[in-house]
Amino acid sequence: MKIRTFVVLCTAALILDAALAPEIEILGARPDFLVLVLIYGGLGIGVNVSVIAGFFMGLMVDSELPEYLGLNALALAITAFVAASLLDRLVKSHVLVQCCVVFGAIVLRDTIFYTAYYRGSIDIFGHLLLRYSLVGAAYTVAIGLVIHVIARLANWRAITGAPRR
Amino acid sequence: MLSLLTRLLRGNRDFATLVICVVLATVALSLPPAAKTVVSSVMAAPILRPVKRIAVATDGLTRIRSENARLRSLVMRLIEERASLVSLGHENDRLRELTNFIVGFAEEERFDLLPATVVGMPGGRIIEAIEIDAGAASGIEPGMPVIVPDGLIGKISRALETRSLIEPLSSASSAVAVTIERSRVRGIVRPRYGGSAELLDWQMDYVPARSDIRTGDRVITSGLGGVYPAGLIVGDVTAVDEGPLTMTIHVSIAAGLSTIEQVFVLRGLVPPSPERDAMMQTLLKEFLAEDAPSDVSDRETP
Repeated sequence: MKIRTFVVLCTAALILDAALAPEIEILGARPDFLVLVLIYGGLGIGVNVSVIAGFFMGLMVDSELPEYLGLNALALAITAFVAASLLDRLVKSHVLVQCCVVFGAIVLRDTIFYTAYYRGSIDIFGHLLLRYSLVGAAYTVAIGLVIHVIARLANWRAITGAPRR
Repeated sequence: MLSLLTRLLRGNRDFATLVICVVLATVALSLPPAAKTVVSSVMAAPILRPVKRIAVATDGLTRIRSENARLRSLVMRLIEERASLVSLGHENDRLRELTNFIVGFAEEERFDLLPATVVGMPGGRIIEAIEIDAGAASGIEPGMPVIVPDGLIGKISRALETRSLIEPLSSASSAVAVTIERSRVRGIVRPRYGGSAELLDWQMDYVPARSDIRTGDRVITSGLGGVYPAGLIVGDVTAVDEGPLTMTIHVSIAAGLSTIEQVFVLRGLVPPSPERDAMMQTLLKEFLAEDAPSDVSDRETP
């Protein structure tokens, strides 16, 4: 995958997160398109670019909440690094592995964010994590599965790992 | 320690990138609020702000659309309700007239009235029959008079089980024994037809010349002939033609035959009953009490 394509995908994810995600929320939980792009895009572009993209996209998101500028950048950079590194060490084309990594990445991102944002309020932190993060992670995994199916149909080897038989 | 970190970073490019990003994020977090605001506005300007604007506009449009749909359905419902209310209002007016009409009967002339609804009006230009939704099962028999609050309509010509046909005053075979209410001059009212069988008006025949009849006199049933009881309103005198031996009286029928919806069949006279009268009086009092403002005493109570 070219860096330009990756940047376009990241921008699209930002737009989807801002415009579409609130419209399709289920039980108050929204899918995280940014994390999806960072993970699936990272499969084809490498850990390094994925981390940088995560950082800058995080900064973009943070610009909505200047008080915590850098918090989403930190969370997304770490998440992108952990997810991409994990996939590098695992059978990254396996759908179950991808699902687990996406799920874990969402929870990790939210954990980092909530830890800094609600420091000292463990009850709120726990409630948000259980109430929204897990549902949101499951929702994002479901969308990830759709991406995987599309990737199989379109024969995107970076995601499916093998040519279509 | 520093040399160890340097070696680690040199060996792992990805990790080095992460460390740089983490350091930059930490720096961003520790910036003074004013600087954060500047950086945020710079970061948000190219992508997020337009997207947010579009999102807000889309959201507003969606909300307006849904509100529009809701208002449209509300308007439709209100139109339906209004039509229903207008219809109910008309029905209420008619029923009020009917109530006044029934109450208006003299005590000694209390008829056994059976209300019925007009369900059909077979015939073309001339109304030859009117079909109502009550029949022999309701005690209707041929020959019974049919009236509306405005006046006489005709009589029952045929009674089926649940339907009946009325022979209206416009029927060619109709003839009603009448009298002028003011002067008590008697005669027979019949319909008068033109050359192409259109109904011109009603005519009162067999009136002796120089009888005391004036335009505007009220024409009522005389009770002769045994079909119609005396005193039912038939219509008014519209013109008087003097002849050498008889007079021709033109009559306008009081009841609008083509617009009637509810009628009453006179099944006979109700025998006087003190119990029934007492019950009616009680019901009337209760009805009037309900209409009167009843919350005055409630308001006075703290």
